[in-house]
Amino acid sequence: MKTMSSFEQKFYRNLHWIRRLTQWAVVVFIFVVPFLNRQGIHAIIGTFYSIRIGHLDLMDPALMFQTILLTQNIYFPAILAGSIPIILALVFGRVFCSWMCPYNLLSEYVGALRKRVFPKKQTRILNHNPRPHWYWTVLGSIVTLLMVSGLPVITYLSMPGLISSQVADLVLHATIGVEISLVIILLLIEFFFAPHFWCKYACPVGAVLTLFHYKHTMRVQFDPKGCTCQDLKALSCNAACPLGLDPRHRDIYPYCYNCGECIYACHKHQGKSLSFSFQTNKQKNIIPLKFNEKQDGPFKEANL
Amino acid sequence: MLLEWLNKIAQYHAPLRPPGAVDEDEFLRKCIRCRRCEEVCPYDSIIMAHGEHGQKVGTPFIYARRIPCYLCMKCTEVCPTQALLPIKKEEKEKVKMGLAKIDTTTCLAYNGIICRACYERCPIYREAITLENEMYPVVHPEHCVGCGICENVCPNDPPSIIVKSAHA
Repeated sequence: MKTMSSFEQKFYRNLHWIRRLTQWAVVVFIFVVPFLNRQGIHAIIGTFYSIRIGHLDLMDPALMFQTILLTQNIYFPAILAGSIPIILALVFGRVFCSWMCPYNLLSEYVGALRKRVFPKKQTRILNHNPRPHWYWTVLGSIVTLLMVSGLPVITYLSMPGLISSQVADLVLHATIGVEISLVIILLLIEFFFAPHFWCKYACPVGAVLTLFHYKHTMRVQFDPKGCTCQDLKALSCNAACPLGLDPRHRDIYPYCYNCGECIYACHKHQGKSLSFSFQTNKQKNIIPLKFNEKQDGPFKEANL
Repeated sequence: MLLEWLNKIAQYHAPLRPPGAVDEDEFLRKCIRCRRCEEVCPYDSIIMAHGEHGQKVGTPFIYARRIPCYLCMKCTEVCPTQALLPIKKEEKEKVKMGLAKIDTTTCLAYNGIICRACYERCPIYREAITLENEMYPVVHPEHCVGCGICENVCPNDPPSIIVKSAHA
């Protein structure tokens, strides 16, 4: 078993709250930026589509590719602006989605509310990882739509950009556009029918970031030796995953967005089997699970 | 009520784009709706189109009657995709946002009342708008940049001088 430094263990034990703090800091950020602009301070301008901090330009890589496809022309500063988020995605994976995106924060709270309101629908705790081709099919169809229609479809479907620009409108002009209803419709669908479907399958912003996932990108790694849940008929990692994945398998990518909820749940239950890693474990993650869903019925979360 | 609406529709003209905007078709493809131009604008001139503008949602507009463009050119510097081409502040004569047109039937000056509001406020002073016989304002299309200041200051309501967008 991999030895963990005390810092690492401390980080994993507080992972959930560190992430929530980051997410709320980002929410505060998108309110503060237009407020400062209104006061005449233009050090930071922009939204999640593209932002300028001092003289540092940042741009959503999905929009960078969209601009290249639509204008069929490469504008070098735009490539430079898009490359910084790409480097972040190369090193840490899709952490923008799980640690910064305001839509994901809303969606996670909607998911938590759904679990409270419809507890019966949430009994199956052992998740199945969907096959990756669904993910690429959705991205492919969005790109096809983009090329055929000549409209900036990714801009229209970028939830973080939409939310932050509506917040900017709210702060700057005290109005909100009708396009915010798209966010509300998606959240209602997630609440009643398909929790977290947008982040898991459809979001083109996240999909473009996942394109840069390679073998040394940070990933959730499972080591069966430290697992404490196997005899307890409950898998806290499966229960914790907001996207409904089974993090014990390696095939969670491209769906997993490295939020670390499974790791936090594992360490909360005195387990040590899940961790972030920059290396792909060569051994196959076949878990000798002493459990049969058909015989024992659905998992229930253990009360440890 | 209906007549009022019809009048409104008849008088409707497309809002202006910020200075340096490329062709409308190209603009809609290049603009990523990031709102940097809106946030950097020191006069709050630029506001964003909402859902009712269809595919133009999120793109920057200037409503001259609300706040016109004062040609500071800050927005052209911050555009990340060159939907707004950079223009230097000293070269404000090169801007082509639209063209002002005077309605001589309602213009006060043409109706015998001394009014020089548009003439005096024009940033391309004594070039874009001149006074004929020291009395009647005349727009010179080759010099007019279409900033909308004249439309903004016109004392008539609806304004007698209207800037027609070059990006309709």
